[in-house]
Amino acid sequence: MTLQPESFDLLTGIVQWVITLGTFGLVFFLVATATSLAGHGRKGPGRVVRGTIRGLIDFLTPSPRRVLAIASLTWKESIRRKALLVFVVFAIVFMFASWFMADTTVRADHQVRNYVAFVFIAINLLVLPVVLLLSCWGLPEDIRLRSLHTVVTKPVRRSEVVLGRMVGFSAVGTLVLGIMGIVGYVWIQRQVADDVDLICRVPVYGELSFLDRSGAPAEKGVNVGDIVETRSFVEGGTKAVGIWKFPLTEEADSLKLESRFEAFRTWKGDMKQTLRVRYILVNPEKSLRVPLPPFNVREFANNEFDVARQVTWTDEASLEKRTADIFNDLAQPSDQASLGVLEVHVQCLDRSQFLGASRGDFFVRLPNRSFATGYFKAIVGVWLKMLVVVMIGVTASCFVKWPVATLLCFTVIVIGQLARGFLDKILAGEQLGGGPFESIFRLLTHMNDTSPLPEGTLTVIIQEADRSLTGGLWIVKYMIPDLTTFSMSEWVAKGFDVPWDGVMLPSLAVTVAYAIPCLLLGYFSLSLRELESK
Amino acid sequence: MNNLNSRQRKIAYICGILVLLIPIALLGMPSSGGAEASGGTLAQLRRQHDLGESDLGKIDPTSVTMNLMLLGLRGVAVNLLRMDLDYYKDRKEWAQMRTTTEAVITLQPHYIEVWRFLSWNLAFNVSAEWDAVPDRYYWVKEGGKFSQRGSDRNTAIPELYWETGRVWGQKVGRADEWRQFRGFFVSDPNVDRFGGAADPEINPDQIDNYLVARTWYEDGNTAEDSRDQHIMMRALFRSYPARSLLDYAYALQREGDFGTRTVAAWNRALTGWTQSYGIMHFQTPVCEVFLEANEDDVRALAREQDVDVKDVVVWLGRYQDTVNYRYWRTRARAEAEQETGETHALIYEGEQSYLAGNLDLASEQLTQGMRDFEKLLERYPSFIDEDLSIEEGMWAVLVWQRILRLNGQPIPESYPLKPLWDKHQGRLPELQRRFDRLGGQN
Repeated sequence: MTLQPESFDLLTGIVQWVITLGTFGLVFFLVATATSLAGHGRKGPGRVVRGTIRGLIDFLTPSPRRVLAIASLTWKESIRRKALLVFVVFAIVFMFASWFMADTTVRADHQVRNYVAFVFIAINLLVLPVVLLLSCWGLPEDIRLRSLHTVVTKPVRRSEVVLGRMVGFSAVGTLVLGIMGIVGYVWIQRQVADDVDLICRVPVYGELSFLDRSGAPAEKGVNVGDIVETRSFVEGGTKAVGIWKFPLTEEADSLKLESRFEAFRTWKGDMKQTLRVRYILVNPEKSLRVPLPPFNVREFANNEFDVARQVTWTDEASLEKRTADIFNDLAQPSDQASLGVLEVHVQCLDRSQFLGASRGDFFVRLPNRSFATGYFKAIVGVWLKMLVVVMIGVTASCFVKWPVATLLCFTVIVIGQLARGFLDKILAGEQLGGGPFESIFRLLTHMNDTSPLPEGTLTVIIQEADRSLTGGLWIVKYMIPDLTTFSMSEWVAKGFDVPWDGVMLPSLAVTVAYAIPCLLLGYFSLSLRELESK
Repeated sequence: MNNLNSRQRKIAYICGILVLLIPIALLGMPSSGGAEASGGTLAQLRRQHDLGESDLGKIDPTSVTMNLMLLGLRGVAVNLLRMDLDYYKDRKEWAQMRTTTEAVITLQPHYIEVWRFLSWNLAFNVSAEWDAVPDRYYWVKEGGKFSQRGSDRNTAIPELYWETGRVWGQKVGRADEWRQFRGFFVSDPNVDRFGGAADPEINPDQIDNYLVARTWYEDGNTAEDSRDQHIMMRALFRSYPARSLLDYAYALQREGDFGTRTVAAWNRALTGWTQSYGIMHFQTPVCEVFLEANEDDVRALAREQDVDVKDVVVWLGRYQDTVNYRYWRTRARAEAEQETGETHALIYEGEQSYLAGNLDLASEQLTQGMRDFEKLLERYPSFIDEDLSIEEGMWAVLVWQRILRLNGQPIPESYPLKPLWDKHQGRLPELQRRFDRLGGQN
């Protein structure tokens, strides 16, 4: 499946984050006030207000020296706990991986994908458990062994303990990840066949729209029955086209267009060649339609097409040779890009055959970047994920013992990474079989998950019960980080640079968004925790 | 709490362990590999039922290690992998899907249905998703090779040999792209890798796909001698090596080869069908029969088995009908004649001349071909209601009529094969569609 570009609205994200954090903060404040009223009478609310103000001051004015001192101790403690033994496992995995993965019969592009996927899976599986265990065990062990007493009796704020712990574990994780990342990079370079170019393509995506077989605008193309309907299909030999509008940002002597269309045949047709496709550069304002030479599509591969800046074509009406400049004649003025927008129509030329396309299937390709660029951006993605795990682990260890903290953190990772799609489906009402009560009912009555529930009171009760649970899930969804955001290896595996706007920026935003509430929660939890209680 | 002290408890534990070790040793002691009765009960049972890893086929150390490491969680792991496999397939992530296929089979190396399903998935489902014929062929090969590996890992299972034969025979030889596939089978499209020769992993002797399929079917029959297969009636299963020879000869004809090579192929197929497959004995619910049995043989079979001659005749007829035995015997006999080959050649060349625009020559060849074809049907009346014959005769008339129309000539009242043409008008629309796509439209 083609990677689909997604845009990320940072401002909307920040607003939502502020509202969510404010709401949770207010709820905590009100609960704390109510509890303090019950425990301390009228003096209670005052204590809560004073504690909150002190906490905010502590939080906003940390001492870098003390934080670094705690971090340094955390580092030493992690090394003493043999965290670096993970390198032994890593070395064994990478020493023998090629025995099982090297298969010269596999297509070269598929091999690269497998190697990259393997490296990132191995790094994730080795780094995340290590930092999870370290961060969940650190503080509870200090409390159990009473070594934390020697720290808190010194002029160190508890916010600095929490922050220092986070920085220390993150530093250990960064060292491990950094070394693994470099070794992984070298390993991929050595495994890939000599004739395979490891590169990072840099795409400029456009907006996609369609015209139907009669030439009228359509919301999308034809559905040919794919289970996952990512692509819409354009009917061949008709007026149907897919229209891409690419923003032009820099002038060049030529444009490289790259596509990855899919073919769908309704009959055998000409078996000796694949479907024929044609690009038409269009400027409706100047009534220009510049057809480019047709080509045969190579499916599930990259079809590259170079277009010179000065395009010459034969006008269909006058049969005269004409020339147009891409940037001066064909680009249309737009707010999107300084040099305007280039409109490209994609047409399938074979009658009764269909060409499948999605937005990400067709793009203008800028000069390549090195493989290392994309690879290490994806490593940064793993690093950001690791930071989130450390933050959640340390925070959890501030209010529960290490087994519970470990379980909690593990659950967060499982839901955030593996069950995110499932969670989204349940909340969107798209999950077949309904919520838990409906599922139980269907299981007990052996009812197919696509059959409608029988009308009646029982169904109403079941659906209402599920709805109330779904409300709880909604809160879970917004509390647990979406760890899939950090998965960038797919871009690298498919030979693309990791885009900043739709991938790197959201990952960074999620990390920062969790850092602040985690620090606050960790600080207040540790402040309220009875350290004598093991 | 009991009254035992620490030392006493330790002694009790050790005694308990020793007592438990006795049944464990009796059950699980490994075989020394030599004597029949060596090893524990489980080892002996494994040996008795050929269930040892080495008895099943080639050993894959990775697979064994993975299964040991997963302990009882293999089922869970396989479930997750199968879900992944479907996920990648639905999203057309072929590289990941292929890798996941390997992971599944690593965990289930002796699950026959898993081998069969995944092999089919690659050779039939995934290959059909690709547009370029060389790409499709690549995935057909992947499926066939996968099935070959299944046979290596499970040498006693006849179904897997048959499955491999099916990929190399039916998939390569009868797919929509059969012409290209058959060509690729002896001259792989990956020229960089195979230098224009066949992929040695599937066709080391550089021979026809049906002949390679035949060897796999024969291996299947050999395995079936000692272990039952569970996919089809035995008489059908055993027929495949001989059917491959028939398919081979027919494929040569379809490719326009009507010379001595094809005649020899039909002769070989006839021999295989009648003298190899035809003399195999099959147990019916009432008696044992062999398909080439004549009247004397039937009487002898009835006498030997002490059953009624009528019963033998009935069951012989049923078995012959099931595998279309008599038709293929007659067909092979007919095709082995030089005259039959020439008749097919005339119709084929007439069609080619039409496509080349040489209408007069095409008309002449088709007219003669139709005449000869009519004579052939008179000689072998059983062909009159047979699909391939009807199709060939109707096709010849269709092309011939088109030529007459293009030349502005009326279609005469009477012409060769008219009875066949009139009788099978119901098949005309489908043939007409094919003809239109071939370029027969005005």
